[in-house]
Amino acid sequence: MTKEGKMIIPLTEGLYTLPSSPYEKPQLIGSKCINCEELFFPKKEKRLCIHCQQMTLEEVKLSRQGKIASFTIVLQPPAGGFYHGPVPYAYGYVDLPEGVRVETQFTGDFNALEIGGDVELVIEKLYEDAEGNEFVTYKFKLLKEQE
Amino acid sequence: MRPLNEMREVVIGGVGITKWGFYENAEWYDFGSEAILAALKNAEMEWKDIQAAFCGSVYQGTGSGHQAIKEIGLTGIPIVNVENACSSCASAFRLAYQMVAAEIYDIVLAVGMEKMPRGPIPSTAFRPWELKLGFNVQPANYANIAVQYMKKTGATIEDFSMVTVKNRRHGALNPNARFQKPVTLEEVMNSRLVATPLRLLHCCPLADGAAAFILCSKNKLKSKYKVITVAASTLTSGIYGEGYPPADLIPSLKYPPAMSLTELSAKQAYEVAGCGPADINVVQAYDTMAPAELWDLEELGFCKPGEAPHLLREGVFDLNGKIPVNTDGGLMSRGHPLGATAGGQIYEIVLQLRGQAGPRQVKDAKVGLAHAMGAGPNSAVTILKC
Ligand SMILES: [Zn+2]
Repeated sequence: MTKEGKMIIPLTEGLYTLPSSPYEKPQLIGSKCINCEELFFPKKEKRLCIHCQQMTLEEVKLSRQGKIASFTIVLQPPAGGFYHGPVPYAYGYVDLPEGVRVETQFTGDFNALEIGGDVELVIEKLYEDAEGNEFVTYKFKLLKEQE
Repeated sequence: MRPLNEMREVVIGGVGITKWGFYENAEWYDFGSEAILAALKNAEMEWKDIQAAFCGSVYQGTGSGHQAIKEIGLTGIPIVNVENACSSCASAFRLAYQMVAAEIYDIVLAVGMEKMPRGPIPSTAFRPWELKLGFNVQPANYANIAVQYMKKTGATIEDFSMVTVKNRRHGALNPNARFQKPVTLEEVMNSRLVATPLRLLHCCPLADGAAAFILCSKNKLKSKYKVITVAASTLTSGIYGEGYPPADLIPSLKYPPAMSLTELSAKQAYEVAGCGPADINVVQAYDTMAPAELWDLEELGFCKPGEAPHLLREGVFDLNGKIPVNTDGGLMSRGHPLGATAGGQIYEIVLQLRGQAGPRQVKDAKVGLAHAMGAGPNSAVTILKC
């Protein structure tokens, strides 16, 4: 994908589906165990279920909406030089209705975040490199703030 | 599997510690060997009496225990290096205890030592995609647990701050602590925000330091101090479905565990020791972040879920309270040299049971408990009795 010659690059491949038309919306990709029904995000590369130890994991697309389980506004830059996004940022957990908790950043008005709040998946820029290429990631945003 | 409490009784032969703080002109093998020599002197034993050594550290690299022991003199004994995150020294202590209990050796050294890396320390628990999303900020990991705890129990940020105030007040009486100056509630509440709602003074400081223990069978005991028995030393390293953000563990919503890692290790320890929380006179809880001390005390069984903030305000966890907690100032005052931290906790229990804790002495302490958590995750519970 390009925008005026600049690249739009997923921060990490394989975490969510890339829509092929404007009518399609992205979804997180997880794993579901067909033996014990346990769910995982992100998708496990191996088929081994770490709950029941059977080779029974299958790829599954996860719900786009869920509820905030917890969140924090981080004001201290992460160690190690791996993170190039803005600080402060909102980081926490979202519970999806099928029964899996997802670790995520939140976007939108941080002051409006609350435990139990209804959120929806969005794909958004995390940062831009020196050439203007955009690195994008999944995030969650309060439903009431969606256009 | 033979229960450890049916094996030989293991006692504390001697203990040693160094001042915790930043050693700019010394390495871990310098102050590590200093702690070992202090323990040896305290035990009134000779170096050649030691039959095996278990050496805990996290960041010192290959053969870190050998380096410390080389400073004293190699004697051909087995030296085993133990890296188990913040439970490293408790894990080394446990191995030494098991060796003596099982009658494999009579006198064994356990030491924990750490010179913390300078500058930011990237966690090894997180995957590359998570590092790129900034999930590896430890106070933020704890903040996510803290906000859920607040929601569930009604605990406030002031409750968390009171933990720091209490521990720093205790630490002011500990000459080995990094911080020996008390802080006020206002100072904690006005310190820099790190990850909402947690502030800088809700986070334990780092430090360098070491602590050493000589464990032995009762017939090998030389010192004339009060005899202290290792009543339990348990280690549990993770259970399915429990969330622990500092170790990048997300809870399973479908298969939550029947009990937490801390509850499991405490249950095992109480069973082996033949006692319960009501029998414990002094506690070293795991206060790597201030709020963690509160849910730690609940999970260790000292009160019901959600009761700890209330008891803290009542002074139950003060030096003269019913259940004195972190009598040496805890991680908040000692500082946190990862591989030595659990050793600092056990050392304090030994002083308290021997009646050698000076101005911070708890009256008539007979049974003490130390709990170390850590990335991994690990949960190590040590119970000592006199
Ligand atoms: Zn399964």
